[in-house]
Amino acid sequence: MTILETRNLIKRFGGVHAVDHLSIEVEKGRINGIIGPNGSGKTTLINLLSGMLAMDGGEIIIDDVQKFTQMFPHQVFFYGIARTFQNVRLFEQMTVLDNILVILTKRNVFSSLFEKHTEYHLKKAEEVLQRVDLWKKKNQLAINLSYGQRKLLEIARALVTDAEIYLLDESFTGLFPEMRKIVSNIICELKQENKTVILIEHDMGLIRELCDYIFVMNEGKLLVEGKPNYVLEGKEVIEAYLGK
Amino acid sequence: MEIFSQLIFNSIIAGAVYALIALGFNLIYGATKFLNLAHGVMTAIGGYTVFYFTKTLDWNIYLAVIIGILFAGLIGFSLDKFVYFPLRKRKASNMVLLVASFGAFTAIQAIIAILFNSRFQTLSQNTSAQKSFEIFGGVITQTQLIILASAALIMTGLVLLLHKTRFGKAIKAISDDEEVAKIVGINTNKIIGYVFFIGSAIAGFAGILVGFDTGIEPTMGLDLLFKGVIASIVGGIGNLYGGVLGAFLLGFVENFGIWKISGDWKDAIAFALLIVFLIFRPRGIMNK
Ligand SMILES: Nc1ncnc2c1ncn2[C@@H]1O[C@H](COP(=O)(O)OP(=O)(O)O)[C@@H](O)[C@H]1O
Ligand SMILES: [Mg+2]
Repeated sequence: MTILETRNLIKRFGGVHAVDHLSIEVEKGRINGIIGPNGSGKTTLINLLSGMLAMDGGEIIIDDVQKFTQMFPHQVFFYGIARTFQNVRLFEQMTVLDNILVILTKRNVFSSLFEKHTEYHLKKAEEVLQRVDLWKKKNQLAINLSYGQRKLLEIARALVTDAEIYLLDESFTGLFPEMRKIVSNIICELKQENKTVILIEHDMGLIRELCDYIFVMNEGKLLVEGKPNYVLEGKEVIEAYLGK
Repeated sequence: MEIFSQLIFNSIIAGAVYALIALGFNLIYGATKFLNLAHGVMTAIGGYTVFYFTKTLDWNIYLAVIIGILFAGLIGFSLDKFVYFPLRKRKASNMVLLVASFGAFTAIQAIIAILFNSRFQTLSQNTSAQKSFEIFGGVITQTQLIILASAALIMTGLVLLLHKTRFGKAIKAISDDEEVAKIVGINTNKIIGYVFFIGSAIAGFAGILVGFDTGIEPTMGLDLLFKGVIASIVGGIGNLYGGVLGAFLLGFVENFGIWKISGDWKDAIAFALLIVFLIFRPRGIMNK
């Protein structure tokens, strides 16, 4: 079943065609890799899918039925999409724990006025912070975390939204081996829960190990797609990375 | 000694009023990142609502105060809903929002001047009979004690709201990164609406307190806005504690500045403080 689809998606920055008539279909429950050289439009694609950039054309289709010619940030959570950022964006002046708790807030604003967090919320927050090994840092401000810890906290924040689709932008880049292990475990667990992952990654070893399916982008266009073994042996990919 | 104690009392009382205005101003700035100039006129809305209910309709004074606070909050909330929110939705710049808020300020002030006369008048029932106390040679009135107590109460309440409740955490998240807050499912527009209500209600209350202490006039909002903005900038814009600190610093500088000279210099001294900070520490005391 296709959970997410783009049709002729377009985004230009001045004369740069960052995403150029891109049409992809993403299957539910798979780990999908997006690879391609720097500047090929991978981050821009995620920004369009999460409503952070206005689309210049085309459409995004969620769950086969919901069609968008424009996504807005406030719709992203509602339609079950969570994301991380290539340049991590946390709630910097809040503690690690509060970065998670603020998401577990009930959606009803008025009831949140007087309500404190319940045991249930705290338990859930502890669970997810244990998973990324940040529970011991729970009272530190996010701004004071190390680079890798910041990346992990951002992933934890995506997890607690309980989304169906996870857009991960270079989540492994710059991480130490033990942290990479944590992230790849989380991605595998998401797959076991039948969630859908879209992972931008440069490490072909990881892509081969984790991904069920790969999209290769170049200059905003889809160059080739398919199973990792098939795609990674293909000459198109080698050419895109190394030049002809 | 007597004048010294008196100046300290005056400084603290002025500081408390400025602090209330700076609190709401900074709360709104933190969430929206624009200077909401209409914040000043909320003081006049509060003051004149109480004036109308007590002097014209002869209602119970406590009831009138509550209505005044709620009404100021409601006007602030409506400004957001019908002016700022539509502008934000169209991705208007903060400069556009600032100009819009100044327009709202002027319009509301004009409406107040039309509905009531422009004379300076007090909210107090009977000024001469007001109780006052002598402490260390300085005199402090009952109204002023109420100002201090209620300002302390509101500051404490706001701190608890921000630190202890889920609502407070959402406000902080919005202040840090509104776009990300939206993406993770925080209803930012609704929360910003409540922030306007709370901030404006506190400003309305400050206006009511000023009305009982000295008096009200339709243009009172401008002077109080300036003081609130100066306190915020001096303390660190968007920083609630900074605003309170800046407010008391302003109160002290202003009142001790006129120790040996005419009280007419008060506003000039306040602006001198602002300029000193804008030159030497534009980010304010508390902001890093
Ligand atoms: N906000 C922006 N403004 C202008 N140009 C941009 C912006 N974001 C991306 N680009 C351009 O779009 C192209 C694709 O960038 P990006 O999506 O970040 O690539 P990738 O993530 O694949 O490295 C690049 O040429 C980049 O310079
Ligand atoms: Mg990128």
